[in-house]
Amino acid sequence: MIPATLRISLIAAVICYFIVILYFLKQRALNLKYTLLWLVAGFVMGLLVAIPELLVKIIRIFGIQDNMNGLFIFMIGFIILILLSLTSIASRQNGKLRKLTQEMAILDKRVRQLEQDMTAAGGREHKEE
Amino acid sequence: MEERNRVLIIIPAYNESENIEHVIDYLTKQAPWCDYLVVNDGSTDSTLQICERERFHYLNLPINMGIGGAVQAGYVYACRNGYDIAVQMDGDGQHDAAYLETLLEPLRKDEADVVIGSRFLEKEGFQSSASRRTGINILSFLILLTTGKRIKDVTSGYRAVNRRFIEIYSRDYPMDYPEPEAIVSAIMHLGRVREVPVRMRAREGGTSSITFGRSVYYMIKVTLAILICRMSYGLRRAKKAETAKGGGRQ
Repeated sequence: MIPATLRISLIAAVICYFIVILYFLKQRALNLKYTLLWLVAGFVMGLLVAIPELLVKIIRIFGIQDNMNGLFIFMIGFIILILLSLTSIASRQNGKLRKLTQEMAILDKRVRQLEQDMTAAGGREHKEE
Repeated sequence: MEERNRVLIIIPAYNESENIEHVIDYLTKQAPWCDYLVVNDGSTDSTLQICERERFHYLNLPINMGIGGAVQAGYVYACRNGYDIAVQMDGDGQHDAAYLETLLEPLRKDEADVVIGSRFLEKEGFQSSASRRTGINILSFLILLTTGKRIKDVTSGYRAVNRRFIEIYSRDYPMDYPEPEAIVSAIMHLGRVREVPVRMRAREGGTSSITFGRSVYYMIKVTLAILICRMSYGLRRAKKAETAKGGGRQ
């Protein structure tokens, strides 16, 4: 079993974790969309601190003998998942950036063309219809 | 006057200040009947200043997006401005504008959708180094395996497409090293791809974007890209057939 002091410090760590997330959210430095993942992670951590037997049970299901090893494997797996989702977010933003850049370049050319046409018109007044 | 198709030559240029003037001068002399568009891909040298000074037609991408993004910008422009044919031509002087007619002929006769200028069909002009040719042959074989179509010069960036592929490429054009992948994508869109013989020259100035150190990365990346492109379009087509069969599903 986990000693009481360790448990208390772990609970404190989880609480700190949530405070940091809330702080970022308040500062609007995190989109709620991407925060959900981190909130779920915090929730799972809290759950495991509250009911450590749960972790042991899950680890046995997977056939892992050592508790700490099991915990690390799950953590690493979870981190890899998060990194993968970050890469996917970066890729999607790359695509958006590409579209924006092309759009901007085409608009830039139109503006130049319009300016040129106006200069060519030689200060004549607008004649519409 | 006979009615000609509206043709746009797309010239992606990244740090081509040494070549771009020659290329455009030569092009406007060889083919004054077509429009051209230089796409300055966030160059760090004076390419943009030259385009401005010489009053070239150009798009200016404020950030460097790589050849794929630059060429696609040209396709988007061609699509918006109603061009019938778009031609890609490198900004470094390797591609000779004298071969434009050869390239355009199959499109005008409606015998092909995508025409690739190939330096290996008649083995004339600049043939590239032996190691690079080996790489190209491997990729060519891979495309034959995945699509059943033999294209010899898969990395040639000298190509022409019709209106249908202007639209397709403006929506979806591969990134990074796009040439071989664009061929696979064209075949997967059931396009008729045709190679015509052209002569290429060695670069006039500057340095090629593909250095020797990058070639291994290039081969791995392109191989992967071809396989993924083949797989995803295979799935997409199957899905489309299924939805067509399923009828008006909501």
